[in-house]
Amino acid sequence: MPGFLKEFFNRNGIGMGAAILGLVLFWTIGLIILPQLSMLDFSFRPNLPPPEIGGPKDVYTLENYKYLIYGPEGGSQSYNAVDLRVFFRTLLAAVCVTIFNLILCYPIAYYLGQSKGNHIRIFAIMLIIPYWINEILRAFALRIIFGETGVLNTLFVGLGIWDTPFDFIRNDIALYAGLGYAYILLMIFPMYNVIESLDKNQIEAARDLGAPWWRIHWRVVIPYAKPGISSGCTMVFMLSAGALAAPQILGGPSSLWFTQLIYQQFNDNNDWPQGAAYAIVLLVTCILFVLAMMRLFKVNMGDIGK
Amino acid sequence: MSAGVGVDLENLWIRFGDFVAVRDANVNINGGDFFSFLGPSGCGKTTILRAVSGFLDPSEGKVLIGGKDMRGIGPNKRPTALIFQNLALFPLMKVWENITFSLEISGASAKERRKRADELLDMIALPDQGDKLPSELSGGQRQRVAIARALCAEPDVLLLDEPLSALDLKLRQHMRTELREIQKRVGITFIYITHDQGEALTMSDSIAVMRAGVIDQIADGKTIYNDPNTAFAASFVGENNVFRGKVKQIMGNEALISTNRSGELVARISSANQGKLKAGDDAMMFIRPEAFAIAADGASGDHFVTARVNHEEFEGNVFNIFTEGDGGKEIKVSLPNLGQSFDDHTGQNITLEYETRNAVLVPAGELAAE
Amino acid sequence: MNNSFLRVSIWVYLVIFFLYLLGPLVIMSVTAFNSSAFPRMTPWECLTFQWFGELFQDQRILNGIKNSLIIGAGTVVLSVAMGLAGALMLTQIWPKLRATYYTIIIAPILIPGVVLGISTLVFWDRINRMLGLGADSFLSNGIFLTVIGQSTFIASYCMLVLVARLQRYDVALTEAALDLGATHAQAFRKILLPFMRPAIASAAVLAFLASFENYNTTTFTFGEYPTLTIELAQKVRYGITPAISALAFIIVALTVFFALLNEAKLKRQELVAAARKSATVEELAGKIKLPSFFAGNMAAVLLVVFAVATITVVGTATAYNPGQCIANVKEQKRLEADQRIQELRKQREEQRKKREAEEAEQGGAQQSTPKPSNNSGFGNVFAPNTLGGDAEEESSDTETPPSNNGGFGGVFDPNSLQTDQ
Repeated sequence: MPGFLKEFFNRNGIGMGAAILGLVLFWTIGLIILPQLSMLDFSFRPNLPPPEIGGPKDVYTLENYKYLIYGPEGGSQSYNAVDLRVFFRTLLAAVCVTIFNLILCYPIAYYLGQSKGNHIRIFAIMLIIPYWINEILRAFALRIIFGETGVLNTLFVGLGIWDTPFDFIRNDIALYAGLGYAYILLMIFPMYNVIESLDKNQIEAARDLGAPWWRIHWRVVIPYAKPGISSGCTMVFMLSAGALAAPQILGGPSSLWFTQLIYQQFNDNNDWPQGAAYAIVLLVTCILFVLAMMRLFKVNMGDIGK
Repeated sequence: MSAGVGVDLENLWIRFGDFVAVRDANVNINGGDFFSFLGPSGCGKTTILRAVSGFLDPSEGKVLIGGKDMRGIGPNKRPTALIFQNLALFPLMKVWENITFSLEISGASAKERRKRADELLDMIALPDQGDKLPSELSGGQRQRVAIARALCAEPDVLLLDEPLSALDLKLRQHMRTELREIQKRVGITFIYITHDQGEALTMSDSIAVMRAGVIDQIADGKTIYNDPNTAFAASFVGENNVFRGKVKQIMGNEALISTNRSGELVARISSANQGKLKAGDDAMMFIRPEAFAIAADGASGDHFVTARVNHEEFEGNVFNIFTEGDGGKEIKVSLPNLGQSFDDHTGQNITLEYETRNAVLVPAGELAAE
Repeated sequence: MNNSFLRVSIWVYLVIFFLYLLGPLVIMSVTAFNSSAFPRMTPWECLTFQWFGELFQDQRILNGIKNSLIIGAGTVVLSVAMGLAGALMLTQIWPKLRATYYTIIIAPILIPGVVLGISTLVFWDRINRMLGLGADSFLSNGIFLTVIGQSTFIASYCMLVLVARLQRYDVALTEAALDLGATHAQAFRKILLPFMRPAIASAAVLAFLASFENYNTTTFTFGEYPTLTIELAQKVRYGITPAISALAFIIVALTVFFALLNEAKLKRQELVAAARKSATVEELAGKIKLPSFFAGNMAAVLLVVFAVATITVVGTATAYNPGQCIANVKEQKRLEADQRIQELRKQREEQRKKREAEEAEQGGAQQSTPKPSNNSGFGNVFAPNTLGGDAEEESSDTETPPSNNGGFGGVFDPNSLQTDQ
């Protein structure tokens, strides 16, 4: 290690080396590792008023995690059915959004990756522009569309397809559409990057050998694009499971997102340790789920983010 | 111009982990010399250059420039300038800014720098090209800009890391002469790294032949070519035919060896090995293709070799004959084209004759890879 | 034949896809110009620019923009610096540590923003307490926390952008600079930084946009300094008005403008580079003139069209007065409302008559209280329950204050508007 450090300072100079090392340490340790550990520690503590923090009552406890499973002490139910249902529904919905996005985006990524020409750049701009618009405004736009007197309902009722306006919001359709909408770029981009580097001759060769188009995709393109696909799916899954804005704006009144529970613990109940525990549960579950999926589909961690 | 600043390497070792890149190198480079390190890629010659320029700290030993130990002195404080293999011209700077970068660092005014750039551009025969970007120049022009940039820093020692390797053959040959001329004009020490023996031979005052981190021989070009120390030096520098065998008898500076294939032959022992080779030692005899002549059929003796001709080719200035040789390698014979007629010997046995002074004997050792 | 079918279906798919992607933005932008108090495209009432005026009078929005800009600037500086340092470290870290290091610096992209916000809040709160500082210290300042929290993951994005370019950097260039006498800092400033400039610019833009639009992390850390996004979220959650559409329109327009500008510039650089390759210096001086800025540069053409359109819209906005139209709509609605009131009155009259007749039949022994008359004729029309679409639209948020539905109340009830304009 000292050898590595010596070489590092030799190469970058003392001043520059110290600046680089300092920034990297501040980022990795000060901003990434310590806050997460601090949150983990916090989630095992009781919710105390500030003067009592560090006092005799400030001991480690599993209370906050028990709460998620069993609910408030002396509660009427043996399980915290409400929160648990929200939790699993969130995960399931995030999976659905991911699959929806994958199916929606794969053809686009393939088309963009395998086509040449000026119009591809225009398409790329059209893809990126929505991503530059505020997350809240994107959700707001969908709300205008899916509202009871929104464009869709006006259109369909006007055409006589439906008699009465359909409540997209209460049925969570608006929410799924919004979540899918929010992360389209994150799904397309990694896939596009990989597919773009696929040698066109491989496809030609497969076609030449008489393979139908679906088999070309199944046997040639998809295996090749696997790192991109897994990268995109991981990001979309993590981000939709952790989304807050879209559920708050597009979610129906009866269907909470797990992040909304966390938000409530922090802002409405003022119970930070409880919120931290929920956040830890969300984070750990999501990571485990992604790791399991990666093992299932035989993908490496190093492929993510490429 | 002064006599220039010399460079000395004393017991230099450079290791990367367990790998030894340079093993106990001892070199004295005279001030004002054009000195080449010649060796195949991966032999450690670039490592030595980086140690001289200051990008690497030696694991053991010293680098002295002008007699001064350079340990702990960074590359920006050493009186050296390095010309990189890929030239490393700054792509975003114009040619004149590239050339005068060292002046920019020392705080010279733009006017001063412009003036100096014009002088140097004249010197490298690229006047009025100062406002172009490096990417807009040809390979040879870029080459010259890199030299001007290095010279602008007024170094005592100029280090060149295979700077001609990216050029095509014609240009490379032209640049050799040009480099040598520039060196004579500025009179500073040049240390040149190459794997091309032609470059080393044509330009250098002295050459160090390197193999796998070890310096085999340091001498001027003629000596290296005619009187190699080792089998590697003999086989790496120029084309050479090898005859393996055992020393049978030492006769002063000459020796009789019994070769594996061609009977007993006489050879001159290379200077460095005189008095060291003994009867019974494994040895290798080297004869250059151009040192053979075709002898009358049936001639025999200790400076005749008889072999079957595999094939022949006409190269223009020479006529090449390839015969069966030792260890699966063919013997190559190059006869100068002086207008005589060449008979087709393919499939026949021919007898070749050489003079003893053209057959060099060294201890058996590793040969250069083809 | 099979091929052309495939091609057509690809294009159909592309059209549907981009409709999904861009349609909502277009519709949202259009609603900014409809005088309807609820952002909607149909029915179209009057072309109006009032929502822009309303937007610029909203102190909370303006304050949010100010906070967003401050936080955005801080985040750009911190994340680009950390991203660059992180990228430089990645290219030269000890190989055995490399995979671990990469996982650590890439993780913030995958960690939910909510988690980052909470961990930042909790961690700095603890540091604050350890240092014995009060609740008003710098470490618990909303701007500081938000910059720190956002930079945690935005730096990862920056790192990815920067490392892509850094991988194409030839370390020999830095060595050449050092060899020519530059210090490490000089080599960094004069050689590496200029080389990285395009990537740094991209990273800075990306960082700013990411910071500007961030909600999940900021919502835990903003403290006393709500950003524009936070303010928007508050507004959108508790009732939506076309003023938000107006803001969205501005943001969309700016985004499109800068995207086109950037594209046109890139295209121009390409053309210049191509021209330089085949031209001498003398030619270059005269050759690259404005007209060639457009030659074969679709983005530049679009940019001009876009600029003309913007000028036209702004020009119309200053000259156009929708008052008459709005008055017409109002009048028409009033008439319709009157009509309905008349009908209602008539109905009630009939009911009362009927009832009276029934009561008369029963002998009229019991006098019923004249309850309906208490409500007066206008009653039902203005009662919240009859606000129709607007109210129901908001039914998902129970806290919705009715005032957000605009002052005109039921007059603008779409159900009361039968004909189009």
